[in-house]
Amino acid sequence: MIVSSGFLSVMVSVALTITIIAPVILIFLWIKDWIKGQLW
Amino acid sequence: MNNIASSVLDANTGWIILSVFSLVWIFLGWYWGRKVKKLDDFMLAGRNVGMSLGIATAMATWVTSNTTMAAPQLALQLGIWGMLGYSLGSVGLMLFAPLAKRIRQLMPNGYTSGDFIRLRYGVTAWRVFLIISLFYGIGWLISLGMAGGVLINALTGIDYRLGMTVILAICVTYTLLGGLRAVIGTDFIQTIIILVGVVTLAWLAIDKIGFEPMHAAVLEERPELLNLLMPAAIMFLFNNLLFGVGEIFHSNVWWSRAFAFREGVGFKAYMTAGIFWMPIPIVAGFIALATPALNLNIPAADMVGPMVAAKLLGFGGAILVFIVVFSALASSLDSLLAATSDLVLQDIYRGHFYPQASKEQLRKAARWIVLFLGVITWLLCLPRLTTLASLLYFTGAFVASTIWPILAGLYLKRASSTGATVAMLSGTCIGLWSYFAIGFYVAALVSAVISMSVVLISLWLKPEHFEWAKLNEKTQQEIA
Repeated sequence: MIVSSGFLSVMVSVALTITIIAPVILIFLWIKDWIKGQLW
Repeated sequence: MNNIASSVLDANTGWIILSVFSLVWIFLGWYWGRKVKKLDDFMLAGRNVGMSLGIATAMATWVTSNTTMAAPQLALQLGIWGMLGYSLGSVGLMLFAPLAKRIRQLMPNGYTSGDFIRLRYGVTAWRVFLIISLFYGIGWLISLGMAGGVLINALTGIDYRLGMTVILAICVTYTLLGGLRAVIGTDFIQTIIILVGVVTLAWLAIDKIGFEPMHAAVLEERPELLNLLMPAAIMFLFNNLLFGVGEIFHSNVWWSRAFAFREGVGFKAYMTAGIFWMPIPIVAGFIALATPALNLNIPAADMVGPMVAAKLLGFGGAILVFIVVFSALASSLDSLLAATSDLVLQDIYRGHFYPQASKEQLRKAARWIVLFLGVITWLLCLPRLTTLASLLYFTGAFVASTIWPILAGLYLKRASSTGATVAMLSGTCIGLWSYFAIGFYVAALVSAVISMSVVLISLWLKPEHFEWAKLNEKTQQEIA
């Protein structure tokens, strides 16, 4: 059962999208914690 | 080798990058270490870590150099399932989320995973668990130290021993200076670097080769890598899932964070970290599928990631992959050093030899133990023992045997000490047998199945009745 290039591209594209969003959310949360004085 | 010599960094560039990052991490370790006054500050970052740092430290610790180097290696060896199987390592983080919440509730004054086993199951199970946990901790440290040496050697030509020594020395130094505060603080920066780096590499690989040519070349030269019914790869998938769960459930790296996070943070931090971590092995690993399209000859499977990056992106790619893997390496090495030293301090030094030690004495001893562990790791890394993935999966038999005793111990009052001890011992032994008799990809699977069976049988044959309040050691001491 060989996967198609379409399957490969969808799988990698979904993974890439989440990996692009992750640092944006992390920085947003850091700023939020920092403003509230709740970093640690 | 296909023109790799012209693609890698020269030693001088390698030393410049190493020096810059070393200074940054050590400075930050010192900066955050200034506020470390008490034992809880050094071991658990003051038990008040917030959401952003919580998510980042869970992610960074789980994104090891093994993720960034072994994910491409596994994609090259096991194809699509290699990447997907590795990404299932994130399930461990997500499953640990409710456990982190419960651990914080049951043990608000706890320090280590060893504390839990001792209080829940008694001395015999505690000692068996310590052997497993310390073996795993040292095994993972060796794996990370070796990865550092291999990476530096592959990308810059700097001698393996020299590179490994430098990376270990940097991590030991800033962990010594700042304890878990330094570890968690640097983890945030390292997480951002890793994410940006792997996205850039994958993006440029797609841009330079494209999915169609990459797929066509793999189909022609290595069609088995695209086969969803590759038997060994399917076994690997389940094995890796259980390995990840076992690693996280038992390891003090994750327990110490559960104790360190502010109340209410643990569940959300681990769950979010799992979701964000899941795609990373796919993004980092799929570039190995470019090997046939690039007509690259890979001399050692664990070098495929850096070699593809260097071939694809030349000087810039080599620098980028170096920085990413260096960050991934440091973020895991420091966490493991801190958590393993906590385990040695609390469960060996205090638990076995010096039970009356004051917190101030323990705080001083903690630094010596970090240094001691660094030296031991360095000595064991000097000979390059085996490939990275093989070493990593050797420990699978050990860690998977702890999943069910920990789970049952946290949620079921009936779970017994004898059952937990026999489950860990039998799971480890039979898992190790399967590692040698069948292959690395079944060790954790066999170990977890055996351990689960023993725990279930013991719940039925020899149930106990445990009082949850016994896990709150401070309350118990106050009552006494």
